Amino acid sequence: MSFALANTIGAVFAAPVRWLAASIDAPLRLWQRLTGKGGMIAFFLMPNMIVFGTFVIIPLFINFAYSVTGGNELFLTDRSFVGTQHFDRLLTCDNHFDPSSCRDDLFWTAVWNTARFVVVQVTTIAIVAMGTALILNSKIPARGFWRAVFFFPVLLSPVVVGLIWRWILQRQGLLNFVMIEMDLTPVNWLIERDWAFVAAVGVSVWAHVGFYALILLAGLQAIPRDLYEAAEMDGTRPARVFFRITLPLLWPNLLVVIVLALIRAVQIFDEVYVLTGGGPGTSTLYLTQYIYEIGFASILRNPGLASAASLMMGGVLIVLTLGQLGLQRWRDRA
Amino acid sequence: MSRIATFLTRRRGDGGRWHWTDVVTWLWLGAGLILMFGPAIWLVLSSFKTPAQLAEFPPTILPYVSETVAVTLNGETRNLPLYDVILSDGSADQLAELRRVGTVAQMIDPADPETVIKVPITDRRPVREVGFAWDNYLKPLEAFNFGQYLYNSVFVTVTATIITLITNSMAAFALSKYEFRGRNAVLLIIVATLMIPLSVNLVPLYSVISTLGLQNTLWGVILPTVATPTGVFLLRQYMLTIPDELIEAARMDKASEWQIYYRIVLPLTAPALAVLAIFSVVWRWNDFLWPLIVLSRKELFTLQVGLNTFAGELNVQWHYILAMTVATMIPVVIVFVFLQRFITTGIAGTGLK
Amino acid sequence: MGQIRLEGLYKRFGVHEVLTDINLEVDEGELCVFVGPSGCGKSTLLRQISGLDQPSEGKVFIDGKDVTRVSAADRGLAMVFQSYALYPHMTVRQNLAFGLQNMKMPRAEIDRRIADVSRMLEIEPLIARRPGQLSGGQRQRVAIGRAIVRDPTAFLLDEPLSNLDAELRVSMRAELAALHARLGATMIYVTHDQIEAMTLADRIVVLRLGRIEQVAAPLDLFDRPVNRFVAGFIGAPSMNFLSVADAAPLLGGGTPDGVAIVGVRPQHLVRAEKGLELCATLVEALGTETVIHGTLASGARLLATVAGHLKVAPGDRLTLGANPEQLHFFNANDQRVDAIA
Repeated sequence: MSFALANTIGAVFAAPVRWLAASIDAPLRLWQRLTGKGGMIAFFLMPNMIVFGTFVIIPLFINFAYSVTGGNELFLTDRSFVGTQHFDRLLTCDNHFDPSSCRDDLFWTAVWNTARFVVVQVTTIAIVAMGTALILNSKIPARGFWRAVFFFPVLLSPVVVGLIWRWILQRQGLLNFVMIEMDLTPVNWLIERDWAFVAAVGVSVWAHVGFYALILLAGLQAIPRDLYEAAEMDGTRPARVFFRITLPLLWPNLLVVIVLALIRAVQIFDEVYVLTGGGPGTSTLYLTQYIYEIGFASILRNPGLASAASLMMGGVLIVLTLGQLGLQRWRDRA
Repeated sequence: MSRIATFLTRRRGDGGRWHWTDVVTWLWLGAGLILMFGPAIWLVLSSFKTPAQLAEFPPTILPYVSETVAVTLNGETRNLPLYDVILSDGSADQLAELRRVGTVAQMIDPADPETVIKVPITDRRPVREVGFAWDNYLKPLEAFNFGQYLYNSVFVTVTATIITLITNSMAAFALSKYEFRGRNAVLLIIVATLMIPLSVNLVPLYSVISTLGLQNTLWGVILPTVATPTGVFLLRQYMLTIPDELIEAARMDKASEWQIYYRIVLPLTAPALAVLAIFSVVWRWNDFLWPLIVLSRKELFTLQVGLNTFAGELNVQWHYILAMTVATMIPVVIVFVFLQRFITTGIAGTGLK
Repeated sequence: MGQIRLEGLYKRFGVHEVLTDINLEVDEGELCVFVGPSGCGKSTLLRQISGLDQPSEGKVFIDGKDVTRVSAADRGLAMVFQSYALYPHMTVRQNLAFGLQNMKMPRAEIDRRIADVSRMLEIEPLIARRPGQLSGGQRQRVAIGRAIVRDPTAFLLDEPLSNLDAELRVSMRAELAALHARLGATMIYVTHDQIEAMTLADRIVVLRLGRIEQVAAPLDLFDRPVNRFVAGFIGAPSMNFLSVADAAPLLGGGTPDGVAIVGVRPQHLVRAEKGLELCATLVEALGTETVIHGTLASGARLLATVAGHLKVAPGDRLTLGANPEQLHFFNANDQRVDAIA
């Protein structure tokens, strides 16, 4: 049914698009005649590269410029050079593990919050995704349906996700109601500091586990069926099958998933911001929110400081992304 | 029927016995079903409840509308909610509630409106039937600008997707079907952009947008998001599988490079384009942080930003918040129902990020 | 040790019945080959015996014990898969040891068995390599080795030679025969290649569309096929089937009652004074023999294989006869009818 829909949409758009494309042909032929293949290659690449250049590369350089200049002004020319002042402010601490001893306690609060979040969330999501993938790979009926079940939250917008769970985790919300029915003491999820952290981890795992489960499922399906049958003939018990056959063969995929999850976890913002706003207090305030507040939202706006923090986060992400690319290369070769 | 039963209860265990892996499997699937769909279903059901209903604890599953009865009191006719009541003498009756003071409700028999009967709230139950508070949806759509937000989101999503498809496919075409000196350099640059996500560039990106005069405009939201490195690589991978002979044959037929692109390569890349289009629609529809930064005029808010602001302002008016959340969720659910197969196979097939 | 019996076995997938009423006894130490065209159910039947699949109806007995509900892991059988199914991330040694470790065998015993098998199959130099680094034939030997080290009650082999090139197949066939002689264990072997079946088997089980057509020793199958299908399946080129009218010149002594089809193998037709009048249409000269395709007066097609090099050209006429004892008779239901003694 969806095929018919896609075909109709395609047909509706096809005619004007084709007319448009055809009308550009004449001038482009001229261009091609004048500049040869090289000119056409440039033409094809230009739009994309211009966007990349303007909106990714140039801002990166500007970022560096911002991080060494001070003031509230947005335009570089209005800003004054301050050297490493911002980095000094961010990095000076008596005890790096104690945010209150730092010159910028908010930054270090955000850093350690993020660190805690990354470790717990990535571990949790890797395990849950692994389990889900294993189960989706086994002999269950209507596999497509179950895949869709776990994938559903992935498509929801983070605002919707945050609001759904904000509603459910209220003091008198659904979750507490279920807990009371099960004779457990209800928890004020979004008001108590430690539980807010659990909520942030839980909600973001809920929203993304389906995605990683799918990637792992693809990896599992690449393992030939008859290896499992040979293992069965060899008298292997399920746990041993998992650790000695499935896991070693899935390992490259699993590492890719973990690195992807790390990259996303470091940048966590959207659903947590809507869920808790960073609270209670600052217990769920993470790096990206720090950058957002310091760069834009808060009255104490300091774009230079925000840039410096962005660059540091960027450094971590570059390392992780390089790792991801390397791992993907390894996985595809294996 | 028994064949279906056998099919559904296929187990690892030998000849009908439950193996522990079977138990775990079905528990996991069951929990998954409840956890993954449950919250959304609860959201939808809650969105149809009146504020009074939402404040109820323990909550009901379905939304109910209380039956009311017209009561004339002191010359005024009011609609008061009707309850099934157990009176102090054990008998049951139907009374209308005038008001509630603490744990005691002041109730009136509609036939005898002058007499007030005091009933503890635990002894009464509302007379009601399943009903939907459509007002929760209608009010915000007219009073809270949601039609405008919807338009903005659609505009951003559609425009961004179209531009993404065009620019990414052109670049992917150049990178897959041509050998040229700077090719590796360009690929490297695109890989580099992969390593610099938006969240790292927020501040300078805003200054770039401002310099271009695009701050607080929808184009300022759209343009930075269209050059997706993932999209370029996805399309490039696919285009690499298109045989070069087709292109050479076209050249011999005196086709221009542009014609080769749009008449041969692009149609053949349709499946990958479809996957990218779906991804782009979902990404752009769900974008939050960047629109939040760029847009400060309410009329320009996308649905996500509007919804967030809405939820922030009306902190306690959950009935409206829930309804608008459902409205924001609907397009994605539609995509999900019809197109999830494309998405899931797209991710699985390309090992996409 | 190693006696396998199947009783009333049926296997259905939904409405589709893949195996029908299979009753079979495989003796200890026998090399029994399941053969048949694609889709006849031979691999399915093997999987029922192995325990990887369960029958819809019927029982499987190993050494007198009902193992129908016993899992594959516990039946004490070993299987060689068509794709070998070697664990790609483990070395040959680890592949061989894996099943033994599951049995909680002491390390010394495992090492001893691996050493024995490696020597037997000449895979000692490959012991530390991964399957990805081995050739097809080497992988196949490792797969066989993995089965042997377990010292199983019986071996199950699922088209083990079909992934090898023709030359290797011939040499591996000989090796398998030697292996069977040496080990003396029961082997059930599945193949679609009737030459493999004829050369390796003690007994052959011919399957078609899920049913057993005939179970017999190879030469019995060749000499006395029980129906037209078996007659046409065994032997290459396959048997000629003629109507009684066409075969008249060969039927000097008359035919038994009810005969509708007369079968004669191409190899059993010889140049004769009197017999079938063949007009050659195609001649294939193989050096060792000549295959002559031709038609009879009635238009029916006939194939004859004559030893040596016969100078025949398309269009030539030949007279071919056959020894009456080498004729096969089938009734209208394609069942064998025996000649009058």
